[in-house]
Formats: sequence, C-alpha cells, structure tokens
Amino acid sequence: MTTQLTRPAPSPTATAAPRRPVRRRRRPNIYRSLNGVIIAVIVVVQVYPLAWLFLTSVRTEHDFTTGNPFALPTSFTLDNYARAFGTGNLGLNILNSFIVTMGANILIVILGMMAAYAIQVLGFRFSRAVRGLFLIGIIVPVQIALVPLFIDYSSVNLLDTYQSMIIPLAGFALPMSVYLFSSFFEYIPRETYEAASLDGAGPYRIFGQITFPLSVNTIVTVVLVNSIFIWNDFIFANTFVLSDGLKTIPLGLQNYIGAMGKVDWTATFAAVCVTITPLLLVFLVLNKAMRYGLESGATKG
Amino acid sequence: MLPSRSRLSVLVFLIPPLALYCIAVLFPILQSLFLSFFEWDGISDLQFVGVENYVHMFTGDTVFWRAFFNALGYLFICLVLQLGGGLVVASLLTSLRRGREFVKTLYLLPAVISTVAIAFLFARIYSSDPVGLLNQVLQWVGLGDLARPWLSDVNTVLAAVSIPEGWRFTGLYVLIIYAALIAVPAELEEAARLDGANAWRIFTKIRFPYIRPVWITTVIMATTYALRGFDIPYLLTNGGPGQSSELLTTYMYKTAFTSTNYGYASSISVFIVVECLVAVGLIFVLLRRKADA
Repeated sequence: MTTQLTRPAPSPTATAAPRRPVRRRRRPNIYRSLNGVIIAVIVVVQVYPLAWLFLTSVRTEHDFTTGNPFALPTSFTLDNYARAFGTGNLGLNILNSFIVTMGANILIVILGMMAAYAIQVLGFRFSRAVRGLFLIGIIVPVQIALVPLFIDYSSVNLLDTYQSMIIPLAGFALPMSVYLFSSFFEYIPRETYEAASLDGAGPYRIFGQITFPLSVNTIVTVVLVNSIFIWNDFIFANTFVLSDGLKTIPLGLQNYIGAMGKVDWTATFAAVCVTITPLLLVFLVLNKAMRYGLESGATKG
Repeated sequence: MLPSRSRLSVLVFLIPPLALYCIAVLFPILQSLFLSFFEWDGISDLQFVGVENYVHMFTGDTVFWRAFFNALGYLFICLVLQLGGGLVVASLLTSLRRGREFVKTLYLLPAVISTVAIAFLFARIYSSDPVGLLNQVLQWVGLGDLARPWLSDVNTVLAAVSIPEGWRFTGLYVLIIYAALIAVPAELEEAARLDGANAWRIFTKIRFPYIRPVWITTVIMATTYALRGFDIPYLLTNGGPGQSSELLTTYMYKTAFTSTNYGYASSISVFIVVECLVAVGLIFVLLRRKADA
C-alpha cells in the first residue's frame, strides 16, 4: 500500500471525480470548524500585539498607567502623536529612510537587471561561474561586512553618509535580485531577441526596448520585497551613522527612549505607529504583488 | 546568446553590478579573513598574530562557546516557530473555505514592522514592573506563580529574545509552504483517501514528499536568517543578563565596536560565515539523502 501511496497510478482520477460528494459527507464538519477555530486563535495571538500597539498609541497616558493597560481604552486622544512628533525627529527620520530605500532599490533593480542580462541573455564563457558567485551572496550573513566596511569607510570618509548605508544594503540584496531577474529572463523567448537582432538592434537597444519593458512585474516584486528589509534595516544604519540628521526610522525610534529619560510608552507607541504606517499602507495595497514576490523568491530558489 | 553581442557589451552590463557586489560583499569577506590573523584596535599598527585569534576563540574563550550554544538555542526556537508553526498553519489554511487571503495578509503583518518597533513591543510584553502582557495573561489563567521578569531571568531570557524573531517571520513561511501545499495535485490525495489513508498518512506520504524541494529551501532560509539574527537580542537585552542571551553576532558586534578589537571580531565573523555554509551543506546532505531513501 505504501508504494501505491507514494507513487499513485493515474487511473483513480477518473473514479474519484464522481465520488467527491460521498467524501464530503463522510468527512465530518467538526474538523472544518475546529480548524477554523484554531486558525482564529493563532491569528489573534499573531495580531493582538499589533492591535495593542495601536490601541495604546491612542489612549491617554493616565489611562495607560493607572487603568489596566491591556483592556480596551476608555479614552481616545491624539495627544501622543503630537508628543511623538514634538520630541523626536520623526519627519526627518522618515525622509532619511525614504532616501535610503529609494537609493538602494534603484541600484538593486538596475544593477540586478544588468547582471542578469549579461548572464542570461548575452551569455559569455564564464557566465555559470559568475552566476554561482552571485548566488553565494544569498547565504552570506551581513555581519561579515560590518568591520571591513567600517574601516574602509573611515579611510575614504564615507562614514556617516547615505552611501554608507546604501552600498551594503544594495550589495547584499543584489544576489537575490540577479537571481529573480535571470529566472524571469529565461521565460522571454529567444526568438524575440533573434528577431530584434535581425532588425539591427544591438544589445543596448534590446535591453532598453525589450527586456526592460517586459520586466515591469519582476521589478515591482524585487522593489517590494527589498523595501521591507531596507526600510527596517537596523544593523548597517546603527553601525555607520552617527549624526542625528542622517538617522533612519529604526535609529530614530531607538533614540526615543534615551531622549525622554523615563519611557513615555504611549508617545513611543504613537511614534512606532507613525513609522510603520507608510510601509504598512504599501503592503496592504500591494499585498498580492508582495506575497507573490516573497513566494517566488523562495520557491524558485 | 545574443547574436549581435560584443565582448564590450558584456563587460558594460557585467562590470557595474560586479563592482558593487565586490565592494559590499566579496571584498569585505576577504578583508575579514585577512584581519582575522591580526590584532588591531583601529589606531595602532596591525600586528600579525597568525592563528592565535582562532586558537583563543576555540580553546580559551568561554564567552564564545556560551554565545555559540545560545545561538544554537536561538536557531532551534526560530526553526520550531517558523517552520513547525508555518507548516501547521499552512496545512490548516488549505482546509479553510473562505478568508485564506485575509488570514495570510494578517499573518504577514509583523514581517513589515521594524525590529526596533518589535523590540519595544516585546519589552513591554515581557516586563514585570509595570506588569506586562505575558504576566497579566498568566495571572488571568491562574498561573500567576509563573510570572517573572522574562528578560532579566537567566533561565528564560534566551527563549524570550528568540520568540519575537520566530514570531516575526512565521507568516513568510506560512505563505511559502501554503503555496507549495496547494500545488499538490488534488487527484493524488483523492486517490489515497479512496485507498483508505487517513489525514496523517496523506500528509506524511503524499503532501510532505511533494513539497520537499520547497521545504529544503525554507529550511535553508530559516536557518541562515536565524544564524545571522542580531537586532532583537541586541535591542532587548544586549546579550545580558551576563551572557545568557549573547549570540555570536552580538558578541562579534560588541568585540568590534565596544572593545574595538577588530582582529578578534573578524575571526568571529569568519566563524559565522563558515557556520552558515556548513549549516547549508548539512541541510542539503541530510534532507537530500532522506529524499532518496
């Protein structure tokens, strides 16, 4: 029976179809509702901390400290948000995160596409080796680069700049980008290129007029997936940035507690809510594209 | 291969990405390897010490071993939550009739939130004064005796810093495993069911073997991510109390940027890379072999 299960003959398909209603009746509905309940419980556990984060950010400090902090709020206030913006540099932090995310994404997309184009479409003698070289980067932990880059940056005066964050963020995301683009380029039929070549288009024109326009979906995927990690990057920013003017959101948030001495939880949570909103909105609007990206990143790996 | 390509065009497309990759990734790896044979505080001259850093690391440094075993514990908790949890939730999801998309979206929410925000959140969940969420819940269900300051208790702190990391990315693995599970041909399961296989047998004999390639990928992803885990332990406890939640990554970071011992920090980071490579190799060997058997 085991062999039959692992390697089932294709024949049962025919008999299975008409019997489907029987199966449904045989399988009790209790399982289904039990599954539903379990999923609901897990979702609550998963989402409750986030809901609590938001609820805390709109309740008064008094209500939070004296009442039960985990019950539903009895008051509603936007005061915390005013305090959050008043004490920190939230606006500046968001702007900095935006600049770094944009900069790194541009590099990741353009350079990733170029490398994939050279490897997959143009082809050259060592293309497999170069591809392998890029693939290694997927499993290399980012911590290896901290000390060397810190030393290199300080010798070329790059410490405490946007570039100091953008370069490693883009560099470490590049392998996955090269990989996603080259697996997409595999699906573009060779005839397309051959026809364009016969019409006299060179490699640059083909890149600009065929490959690039066809890759829009993959570009969206790559940008979305990388934005999550770059927007939230803590380790590079924390290592290479010192001045307040360049601090990205994660660093800005971290300084919150220090800046206020005693932790002002409601205002801190308000600040957290403000900083996660941009990415959250993008995520909720484009969540299908983003999920597709996260899935394909792994299943094609 | 494009007929009209020239050697120059290949170089034009290949050099810029390769340059960035070398500057940010490949060159630093070599540089770390180089620095790991020196003693250097960043100010005075480099001092060649041969393999002394490695000898000290493996034989003389108790903190290193403590951090290594802590990292294994961290890895274990992350894998259980992300892969075990991911597999369970994904399997449950396939039996759900409606709302699958909605559940997946909710599940993925924590993944888009920055680690600093998550650290704040969990600091407040674990705290005992003021009473945090976890201790409150324990009191409600009558387990008030178990309440404790989870982040300053040496017995619980490692689990306490690992769980947020596991929690954060569970949704990602649910998503990936679910996508693989719904690709299992319904006919296969149908046929097995007609042969009298129960749900467990269908899962172990059909579904799981079918998704094995994706499973290997997710195991590799989860393992390498957990081995480079840094943010949450660093932010929540900074390795403390004592060294009870010190990971190799946090230890390396402190060695480099608090004690400014760049040489020794480099040997630790070389070790982390080797550890990742060995882990990936092991996963391939173990899971592949099982697939053949």
